[in-house]
Amino acid sequence: MDNGGSEGIMSEVIVENVTKKFGNFVALDNVNLTIKPKEFFVLLGPSGSGKTTLLRLIAGLEDITEGSIYIGGKKVNDVPPKDRNVAMVFQNYALYPHFNVFDNIALTLKVRGYSKDAIKSRVSEIAKILHIEDILNKKPRELSGGQQQRVALARALVREPSVFLLDEPLSNLDAKLRVEARSFLRSLQKEVGVTTVFVTHDQSEAMALATTIAVLDKGIIKQVGDPYELYTKPKDIFTAGFIGSPAMNMIPGKLVKDGSSWRFVSEDFSVQLINTEFENEYDVILGIRPEHITLVKDDGINAKINNVEPMGAVTYLDIQVGSVELTVQYTGLIKLEAGMEIKVKFVEEKMLFYDRKTEKLLNV
Amino acid sequence: MKKLDAFLLILLIIFSFFALFPIYWTVITALKVNSEIFTIPPVFFPTKITFSNFYTPGTTFGEVSQTAFGSFPWLINSTIIALASSLIGTFVIGAPAAYALTRYLKNVWFARLILFMMMIPEAAFIIPFYVIITKLNMINTWWGLILVYISFTAPLSTWLLMGFFSDIPKSVEEAASIDGLSAFSTFYKIALPMVIPGIMVSIILNFINAWNEFIYALVLTYTPFPTGAQTVPLYLTDFIVIEKSFAWGGLAAAGVIVMLPSIILGIYAQKYLVKGWTMGAVKE
Ligand SMILES: Nc1ncnc2c1ncn2[C@@H]1O[C@H](COP(=O)(O)OP(=O)(O)O)[C@@H](O)[C@H]1O
Ligand SMILES: [Mg+2]
Repeated sequence: MDNGGSEGIMSEVIVENVTKKFGNFVALDNVNLTIKPKEFFVLLGPSGSGKTTLLRLIAGLEDITEGSIYIGGKKVNDVPPKDRNVAMVFQNYALYPHFNVFDNIALTLKVRGYSKDAIKSRVSEIAKILHIEDILNKKPRELSGGQQQRVALARALVREPSVFLLDEPLSNLDAKLRVEARSFLRSLQKEVGVTTVFVTHDQSEAMALATTIAVLDKGIIKQVGDPYELYTKPKDIFTAGFIGSPAMNMIPGKLVKDGSSWRFVSEDFSVQLINTEFENEYDVILGIRPEHITLVKDDGINAKINNVEPMGAVTYLDIQVGSVELTVQYTGLIKLEAGMEIKVKFVEEKMLFYDRKTEKLLNV
Repeated sequence: MKKLDAFLLILLIIFSFFALFPIYWTVITALKVNSEIFTIPPVFFPTKITFSNFYTPGTTFGEVSQTAFGSFPWLINSTIIALASSLIGTFVIGAPAAYALTRYLKNVWFARLILFMMMIPEAAFIIPFYVIITKLNMINTWWGLILVYISFTAPLSTWLLMGFFSDIPKSVEEAASIDGLSAFSTFYKIALPMVIPGIMVSIILNFINAWNEFIYALVLTYTPFPTGAQTVPLYLTDFIVIEKSFAWGGLAAAGVIVMLPSIILGIYAQKYLVKGWTMGAVKE
């Protein structure tokens, strides 16, 4: 796209000690984030965790209670939304119902004083990218959900904003369209190169899109990192449980020193640890992902199969180990049935231990 | 459920009868020949239809009345005054006030005050208004009546449009502010077009109210167009030729002319009232 004086295409967003209160309710608690230029940054958290609130603070739609936000090096606390040069896609799209698609997209250019010809060429350019050239004369109510979403994206992308804010823009699409839209969004963002903050509660969406993910829970940033980091080394129990599907298995137990090595002891079994060291004995929760539990012939933990779910490429097994039920992911198909007795083993390098008191990761 | 439906239907028929019969009576009287107007028992289904009541003056007890078509100068005044007070009440005061009250000044007491003002009979203010309009030198002028009528069209428009504005999803206006629109542009380019059904209802109700108003017109005006601002309801009273004597045919014919705009607009407004108020911008 031709670049019409876009001051902030490389904009960095810094959120510094930001707290947001609604009355006495703390929606965001001392949030610190640095969103690098051109990054695809995903805010991930369950419903009500404060994602939308943070996005609205960056857009300027809410006042900051404490702290500061910088866009492109400029403090924007007191800058109204219309002067922040951010673009936003609302969860409900918020298209202008009385304008046709062309005018929906063109309005922001008209306001910014672009010439008629410039508006026309820019709108048709973005419409081509988003495959909405054929519906430019239609009103929003005549469009399907997928088309409305693309119009909302077009409206945001038609000018080059400093920051592109997306609030669960794919949540209204059906499963197939959503997966398509993901890869489309990702390549579009690469192409346009605008710093993007994307909000979602769907961890698989976050993993698929993000260069960096920030995990948010009850207004607190739990962890910031790339998808690999978040998946392999979640720093606390919340993140560990939130990222990954099926979810990580969590087994309460104790870390006990056993001569020169350590042992994980649960109510129903214990595991000798060969390569892992700790400072103290702790009450812990062992986190182990389904794909890191393997089936073994002998010398394993006894388990009974509760349920078998063959998916094709993988098979999920729900197994009972004493009082805990675990999920196992087996690569490929396997002939097993509910009720069978098997033996399993945990991959030691993948075992994550969380202090039960602080809920923080103990492995180094 | 079925029983209730039948009961409601009967109730509706009774109400409709009460509402529609006077209209029917006026229309048939306007179209009756004189001999069928003055009969006991009354004629409900006229055997002969005539339009002469519209253009010939009636005579009762030897007195000659005006004609229905003679109402033209009064109709001009009514049209201008009703249009102006309706449009000003809707666009200049009602819509901006309603928008400000739903978006910025979310004060319930102010809203209640408006409702309260609408509940006071208009005629209660007749003396102060008479004094004000006299002082303003606006007796028997368009602006005299327009100003008074705005005092009841504006609160109605405000009250009505508040409901419409609060139904607009907030995010549409937020999108406009992010797109770079000022607060004022957001109001008139985005919010206002989204409440067009409400605007229509407001214009029509205001127009009908002002069109039908009698007491203020009686007190504040005394000659028709072009010398004064007398409105058409006053013309109707002139069909009372001498005391207790009515030119019924002409009165009914003039009544039909006066009712026509209200009825047409009423039917038109109904379409907007019934129509859905949000227009599918937002996927909830
Ligand atoms: N305008 C508001 N007034 C009061 N509470 C609010 C307001 N907006 C959001 N909240 C509260 O703040 C919390 C975070 O909301 P939100 O940012 O919308 O969460 P998310 O987008 O992660 O689902 C919720 O508990 C919500 O009820
Ligand atoms: Mg949200």
